Amino acid sequence: MDLFLQQVANGLVIGSTYAVVAIGFALAFTVLRVINFAHPDIFMVGMFTGLVAATQYPVVGVGLVMLAGMLGAGAVGFVLERTVIAPLRGRDVLMTLIGTLGVAIMLQNGMALIAGPDPVAFPSLLPRRSIDIGPVALTLRQIANFAICLLLLALVSFYVRGTSYGRATRAIAERPDVAAAFGVNVGRICQFTILLASLMAGAAAVSVGMLYGSASAFVGLLYGLKAFICMLVAGNRYFEGVMVVAIAIGIIEALVTGYLSSSLRDAVAFFVMIGVLYYRPNGLFGSYSS
Amino acid sequence: MTYAGLEPVLIFTLLNVVMVLGLYVTAMSGQLSMATAAIAGVGGYASAVLTVKFGWAFLPAILMASLLSALVGVALALVTLKMRDFILKLTTLAFGEALAVLAFNWDYIGGANSFTGIGLKTTIWTCVIATSVALYVAWRFDGSRLGFAARAVRDDPIAAGAMGVSIAEVRGITFAVGGAVVGMGGAVQGHYMLVISPHELGFFISLNFIIFLLFGGLQTLWGPLFGAILLTALPEMLRFTSEYRLILYGLIITLVVLLRPNGMLTRVPTGREWRLFGYVLTPARPIAPPSAGVKPLPVAATGRPVGQAAAQ
Repeated sequence: MDLFLQQVANGLVIGSTYAVVAIGFALAFTVLRVINFAHPDIFMVGMFTGLVAATQYPVVGVGLVMLAGMLGAGAVGFVLERTVIAPLRGRDVLMTLIGTLGVAIMLQNGMALIAGPDPVAFPSLLPRRSIDIGPVALTLRQIANFAICLLLLALVSFYVRGTSYGRATRAIAERPDVAAAFGVNVGRICQFTILLASLMAGAAAVSVGMLYGSASAFVGLLYGLKAFICMLVAGNRYFEGVMVVAIAIGIIEALVTGYLSSSLRDAVAFFVMIGVLYYRPNGLFGSYSS
Repeated sequence: MTYAGLEPVLIFTLLNVVMVLGLYVTAMSGQLSMATAAIAGVGGYASAVLTVKFGWAFLPAILMASLLSALVGVALALVTLKMRDFILKLTTLAFGEALAVLAFNWDYIGGANSFTGIGLKTTIWTCVIATSVALYVAWRFDGSRLGFAARAVRDDPIAAGAMGVSIAEVRGITFAVGGAVVGMGGAVQGHYMLVISPHELGFFISLNFIIFLLFGGLQTLWGPLFGAILLTALPEMLRFTSEYRLILYGLIITLVVLLRPNGMLTRVPTGREWRLFGYVLTPARPIAPPSAGVKPLPVAATGRPVGQAAAQ
């Protein structure tokens, strides 16, 4: 039972990271109908700008490192939106995937050129301490990562449900043409959506870098596909659904690692996806028609 | 560059052509399979097991591998028959990944350690023959009644069904023929690489073939052919820029998607005139004389005129 609880806790930590990246995918896909495959690499850029801040200015502290990560990721996301993502709106979904994948290849190999292809150490910034909660032992960094991701998710949820931009976001998701006819500035919202997703990815990237103590130019590959699958399994109608599914997949993966084998871990998401989509092709919580 | 240095490049180019032609046939019915590498892997593993563990000869092993891949293709077509367009593509993706995991955990075919000990049987001529077979199949399929039925299903499944085309049959056959061609390519490749590892079944390998196809354009047979040849040779041609070549590769893909949304090679759109220095290269070809004063209605969401097929 202790192993079970421990794995559930580990799964919550990793699942919340999936959730943040998956929400980035979901925001781009619902609002722009673009599969932004460069999103995990925007995440990666955030991790490296955070790394630069943390190594060059060692005293800046966690908050400022995170801010640096957000700025780096946000800048890349903003430029990408203007140059690639916005022109792809309205194209076939698969073409948007290929187009942004080209950007992803550029970002990955560009960063590999700058930082080298091997993983680089990421300073931990937080004390190495383990905290016992009942039978479960978590490190301080795991708890920090979970808290940061949860905070980000709560903020997105508030943004979508509680602000006027969020209402416009949902309107565009439902019917872009009608939203535009009712005075929503679709281009502005699209811009803002990608920027928001990138900022979130930057913050999450810094906390993931601290969690694992390493940063790599190819870290995006790990998160990209899984986050994407989380979005599909949940369907994009409710962002909260994407979060729940991402965390659930994280927990299932941790349990599979604990009880079966770690080589099966990466298959979990795919089996969940085939199973769910066979019975509910629009995802568990429904999708906007595209 | 000497011939000896060029031969591997030629072989990989030809093998990629085989795979992408198989994918082209599959995609003709509107179902872009994202499991190409996995189906090629089925072919590769099958022929490897048959030659190594059962002592079969090369040719029957390849034929059997093609057959098995075709069966896997049909299974995939049946699983995804009722799914929506976009979800379907992603289910094929998951199907491929599931096969990769199966290969990873199945010790009989080497599991995580890859299947080794395959004999070197593939020469450049084997590849030439395989490519010729693939080209012939794709070319015949392109112009056949079945090819037209497949394209009808792609453009509008409901209308095609109403006109008496069996969607299940057409999709099953395109997946079977495409799977057989891809499986043949995988088998030939296996006997050149001499090792098959589960990683080669993954999504990112399949994605290469999709990039070839969409880069070249899937309106004609020549599009995928061109895409596979150029994009296999391109990283070699860019070798002088060794460090930047993958960045350039990404840049070229993005630029093509942005600037030529239907791929590099497309049919000339009806009604459009192409000129070079004032000379008319292809005259305007209206498909039917437009009625006076009637313009096609633009669709606000996509900006495409009604009646023009989606770029897919």
